Amino acid sequence: MASITSKLYSDDVSLLVVLLDTNPFLWSGENTTTNSLSFPKFLTHVFSFLNSILLLNQLNQVVVIATGLNSCDYIYDSSSSPTTVESLENGRMPALCSKLLQNLEEFLARDQELNKDESPPGIASSLLSGSLSLALCYIQKVFRSGPLHPQPRILCLQGSSDGPEQYVAIMNAIFSAQRSMVPIDACVIGAQHSAFLQQASYITGGVYLKPPQLDGLFQYLSTVFSTDLQSRSFLQLPKPVGVDFRASCFCHKKTIDMGYICSVCLSIFCKHHKKCSTCGSVFGQAHSSATTTSDRKRKTTES
Amino acid sequence: MPQVKIIAKNFMDMVAALPAMKLDKLYDNTFICEAVLRSLPPLAKKYALQMLYIDVPVPVKSMEEWVLPDGFSKHRVAIDRLIQLRVFIENTDRKRETSYLLHPKFKSNLQKYLVYGGVLPREPMPSNITVRLPTLEELDAYALEQWECFLLQLISSSHAERLTNFSPSMMKVFQRGLLSQREKGPRLTESGFQFLLMDTNAQLWYIIREYISNSEDRGLDPADLISFLLELSFHATGEAYNINTLTEIQRSIIKDLADLGVVKLQQGRKESWFIPTKLATNLSVSLSDSSSRKQGLVVVETNFRMYAYSSSKLHCEILRLFSRVEYQLPNLIVGAITKESLYNAFENGITAEQIISFLQQNAHPRVAEKIPSVPENVTDQIRLWETDLNRVEMIPSHLYDEFPSKGVFEAACEFARENGGLLWEDPKKMRIVVKGEIHMQMREFLRHQKQ
Repeated sequence: MASITSKLYSDDVSLLVVLLDTNPFLWSGENTTTNSLSFPKFLTHVFSFLNSILLLNQLNQVVVIATGLNSCDYIYDSSSSPTTVESLENGRMPALCSKLLQNLEEFLARDQELNKDESPPGIASSLLSGSLSLALCYIQKVFRSGPLHPQPRILCLQGSSDGPEQYVAIMNAIFSAQRSMVPIDACVIGAQHSAFLQQASYITGGVYLKPPQLDGLFQYLSTVFSTDLQSRSFLQLPKPVGVDFRASCFCHKKTIDMGYICSVCLSIFCKHHKKCSTCGSVFGQAHSSATTTSDRKRKTTES
Repeated sequence: MPQVKIIAKNFMDMVAALPAMKLDKLYDNTFICEAVLRSLPPLAKKYALQMLYIDVPVPVKSMEEWVLPDGFSKHRVAIDRLIQLRVFIENTDRKRETSYLLHPKFKSNLQKYLVYGGVLPREPMPSNITVRLPTLEELDAYALEQWECFLLQLISSSHAERLTNFSPSMMKVFQRGLLSQREKGPRLTESGFQFLLMDTNAQLWYIIREYISNSEDRGLDPADLISFLLELSFHATGEAYNINTLTEIQRSIIKDLADLGVVKLQQGRKESWFIPTKLATNLSVSLSDSSSRKQGLVVVETNFRMYAYSSSKLHCEILRLFSRVEYQLPNLIVGAITKESLYNAFENGITAEQIISFLQQNAHPRVAEKIPSVPENVTDQIRLWETDLNRVEMIPSHLYDEFPSKGVFEAACEFARENGGLLWEDPKKMRIVVKGEIHMQMREFLRHQKQ
């Protein structure tokens, strides 16, 4: 850890990775409640927020990752695009917006292509685990390059509900973020609280907030989420009220309160099984069958 | 004339020192607002951003609720800075409660920025014009060469190979405080030495500061100058910009800046262009960041010999300030740190700490990896030689003797000790020495004792 911290800038230079929820089911209107906002409005808030982050310090860096239904991808990186070049090409549209919108459109088209193969039942959740991993990969790349790097943090702008089937992948991403000391901030713009993101911000020391008034999203973003890591130790920020620590079972991907845990690998199950599906340990009565370890392993790989 | 103090003062301190009227005018320019915001402490930046869309004044009390008890001192610093730069305007209402409001122009300019992003007032050279632009390395080399040429002219005009276009009177202004005129010719003063030992950014600040403070004599408005310099710092390094987009005043400024190496002028077929160098972009960057530090060149050995891999005359002159330069090869300067050379430096007002920090900051990359980068015996010896000079301390004092009795003597000793002025006492011969400043009190005291 020491090698990482010594490479930081002394000042408040930060790298912000924003995960945008582009789930069509969330924004299509079927799911909207009275206080939710439309996608274009949401984007204007986000653009202003991105601009304000870039305004705060000339070395600040912003990366935007779109979280779709079936895929996720980088759609904007402030370090790779020169801001001045095409600023006036298309009317008064600033470079940041036009570039981001263009990439977003392409991404949504691609995401929709993928969706045709298998239509998910009901309202599907977006691929948060994938975009979290992309964000962490990007941060690791930054850690390994250059003499100095900015302080990274991740901001999830999440609206759709948690997908229990992603539980393991998301928890792995969270612990990996904790190890590399990257806080995950969460701003929930959907109707329900997100248990995954509550845990994510709790474990990594980020901020979790579900704004009650979505019209003033920019004010929430600029007040809470624009704070650099250094200033966070001096300011009153929203504290977690209660964290939903419930886990999902590995067998049916359901969120459960109580369940069975494999004593060897700590996998979680909602029902009693004869054998652990992860490590192959055999449960049950005290006298277990006489199969050897190597046999058990072979069986699990075959199944 | 006030003593010119050499400190790497921030550009923003200078902006803050402007009268309120001028400052209000400066905030018309979006770039100034941006530069001011970026110069603020992190907490202050956040406050300004937070207040951007709040139209009513925010009371001090509710603002204090934003911070944790630990961060209160930081909060104070941030608020003070915001008020000093007039980003926050203080408002006292009838109930004597103070509240803050964001400066209206500052606010509207930044709101515009948030929507449109940063847009420069002029476009870089379109790529369809086929002119060979210097590469970034060439530009850096140019900036460095230009700057060294200027410095060399500044400290000893006779050594300079070619002169910059600064008028002699302008040069005099820069030299004020750095050189003193003596019968033997100009000599560097104490602050002049300190100036040479600073890093390039700090030196540039000093010169720019002098340049600005002198601008009124040349019929220029300091506010115009500051706003142009800040604007310049937002231009992309290495891009060419058309000179025709500048105003008359700015065109004359840019010529001076080219002499300092802040911009490079390039003559095209029809139009001329200016290309900002690294020095320009560093103007608004905070000074503390070490990212802009140049590569070192000095290797100091334990036998007090010093090797500097440089062919620059300026480096040679700087090293000559505190060491004996023995010979100079095409890319290497060899010198020795001796007692005599150091005494010479101390006499000129350079301190041992400055020399040591110069050696450490400019250590050659090969030795910079080692800890310590300068051998300990050398640094210790430099400090010892300095303290050698300060071995004898002079204190004006008075000697009292022939006390009438032991009692009076002891009372006098006690009195002197209480006043912190007793330097020496000899109870046998009944003699004491006290500091000069309490002599009058001492006399009063003894007169009372006699009665």
